[in-house]
Amino acid sequence: MNPIRLLRTTSFRLVAIYAALFTVSAGLLFGIVYWIATDALRAQARAALESEQTALEAKFGSASPDALAAEISKRVRSGSYRSTFYLLQDKSGRKLAGSLPGLKPFEGWRELPVEEDENVENAETAQHESETHSDRLLVLGRHRPDGSFLVVGTDTNRVSEADEAMLGAFVWSVGATLVLALGGGALLSRGFLHRIDEINRTTRAIMRGDLSERIPTRSVGDEIDQLATHLNDMLDRLQDLVVGLRQVSNDIAHDLRTPLSRLRQRLEAAQQEARSVEDYERAVDQALQDADAALSTFSALLRIAQIEGGDRRASFADVDLSGLVENLVMTYSAVAEDLGKRLMTSIAPGVHVRGDRELLTQMLVNLIENALRHTPDGATVSVALMGGERPVAVIADDGPGVPEAERDKVFRRFYRVETSRTTPGSGLGLTLVAAVAELHHIGLHLADNQPGLRITLQFEDKKPS
Amino acid sequence: MKVLLIEDDDAAATHIAKGLREHGHVVDRAANGRDGLFLAAGEAYDVIIVDRMLPGLDGLGIVRTVRGAGVKTPVLFVTALGGIDDRVEGLEAGGDDYLVKPFAFAELLARVNALARRPPPAETQTVLRVADLRLDLLKRRVERGGKRIDLQPQEFRLLEYLMRQAGRIVTRTMLLENVWEFHFDPRTTVVETHISRLRSKIDQDFDKPLIHTARGSGYCLREPD
Repeated sequence: MNPIRLLRTTSFRLVAIYAALFTVSAGLLFGIVYWIATDALRAQARAALESEQTALEAKFGSASPDALAAEISKRVRSGSYRSTFYLLQDKSGRKLAGSLPGLKPFEGWRELPVEEDENVENAETAQHESETHSDRLLVLGRHRPDGSFLVVGTDTNRVSEADEAMLGAFVWSVGATLVLALGGGALLSRGFLHRIDEINRTTRAIMRGDLSERIPTRSVGDEIDQLATHLNDMLDRLQDLVVGLRQVSNDIAHDLRTPLSRLRQRLEAAQQEARSVEDYERAVDQALQDADAALSTFSALLRIAQIEGGDRRASFADVDLSGLVENLVMTYSAVAEDLGKRLMTSIAPGVHVRGDRELLTQMLVNLIENALRHTPDGATVSVALMGGERPVAVIADDGPGVPEAERDKVFRRFYRVETSRTTPGSGLGLTLVAAVAELHHIGLHLADNQPGLRITLQFEDKKPS
Repeated sequence: MKVLLIEDDDAAATHIAKGLREHGHVVDRAANGRDGLFLAAGEAYDVIIVDRMLPGLDGLGIVRTVRGAGVKTPVLFVTALGGIDDRVEGLEAGGDDYLVKPFAFAELLARVNALARRPPPAETQTVLRVADLRLDLLKRRVERGGKRIDLQPQEFRLLEYLMRQAGRIVTRTMLLENVWEFHFDPRTTVVETHISRLRSKIDQDFDKPLIHTARGSGYCLREPD
């Protein structure tokens, strides 16, 4: 995998940003700890020197400088005070004893550079120390009551050692963290990139036209898996739509070819066989009927497309559904009677819904006419309307019904149930019903009426908006 | 009758104009919106037929302008736009009727005739009369030859429409749109069934039928010859 690509991934960048943040905060923490620890160590050294001064003063305060000088020389020689340095000078500035070179008298704290040549008495120690530390001495100078000058000092080795230990710990731990973080980030990004690449590969394949490609999932349920699952669901839906569209185009072509070829046949027959004006007139009449049939299929398709386009909700208004159904029932009772069938009704009064009156009318007409057309003589069709929060309309018949396996399919364009193939019709009536129902959020259910078909329309909860 | 036809499609315009002239109408044709507007505003016509989609000024614009200028001539839109909103838009712009292409010429002719203004009615419009048939709109009563006839509400509306258009042919589609408010083609014999029932009540017991079938185009309620 290309390392540049790896560095560019979002996950790697995130890791890098966090590593940088961590380094900065660790540095800050280190600074604070360093400052506090150093300060404490220095304070400790000062306290030790002060108490040494005080102790010497208490012991030799009234004695002559020589006694003190002897004690100092003894201590320096014995080597048991390795990290403590002394200097005693008399009033005139002459060095009486000690391991430090002569100094111009001062009062209080000083820091002195270590000068090895002059550090004669303690040369061995000093040399050894100076190999590892470029140290400074912390010294406390004080004038004694008799005018002589006493200096007690210590090297700052312990402070420096602590400093270095801390710095070392800091550098190592931050370094290790950075390496781990960046390495982990790279690994993480690699995994991430790998999965993104899978998605990219799939989308490219789909763009090339292979709609059946799907993004592999790992069934770990992480966010990429979820994304992949959703994308796959979307692809399923798209594939259904595309396949449906192809199917519809095929069906349209097929369905329109039928009336057009019949039309052509008739015209050809007229051309060859018609012998009189009446013959021609008959042929023309029939040809017009065939043309009208094809045109009405086109209009129905356009109307369905327009309804499915769904930009009609703006023109929704209150519709008196009870009144509308009553009028339709009145109209179709007569039609049913002429067809030798019965129309039974039970309509709750005062049911109102929001919708498009014209489309609702056409939807109900299609359903009632379907029931009347696809049932045998003597059949009973019933239309019922119930009110309530969610009004329900039921159109049921006792005809042959629709087999359960076909109930989903009847809403497809041009789909016709086997038993009704011989009845004239376009196969678009229920498609329009479904489109209108969808536009109005009406739940549309087909069920067995035992015997017959029972279609339930569950209207949307219509609290006026 | 004098008809103004605003239609840019030459073939359609020729077909319509020829048909109208054969039925005794005088036809002026404008091939674009500007000419159409000029003629519609300047001349007195009985009916204006307008295509909705025209080069230059479209049909809606023409009708709005003409109506804005106070011209009340009935307007029939003729259009390839068959959407529900298209029809509503056309009627809202000031059109009186709306016919979607393609259509049978008989349909256009019937609608043009229905739109043309009739002479002012002799009595108040609350009672419609054709021969001995009398329809009282206020009392919702129908009588023929002094004999009361009971009609179902829809039969009443059907008869009312036929009587308002008495002497003219009304097509099946016109009846569906105006009596049933069906703006689509039902697949059962709604119109035929109700016409037949109305006939059995209005004409059956009388010598001279009032409701006539015009072959291939529609129905006509008229005085007996």
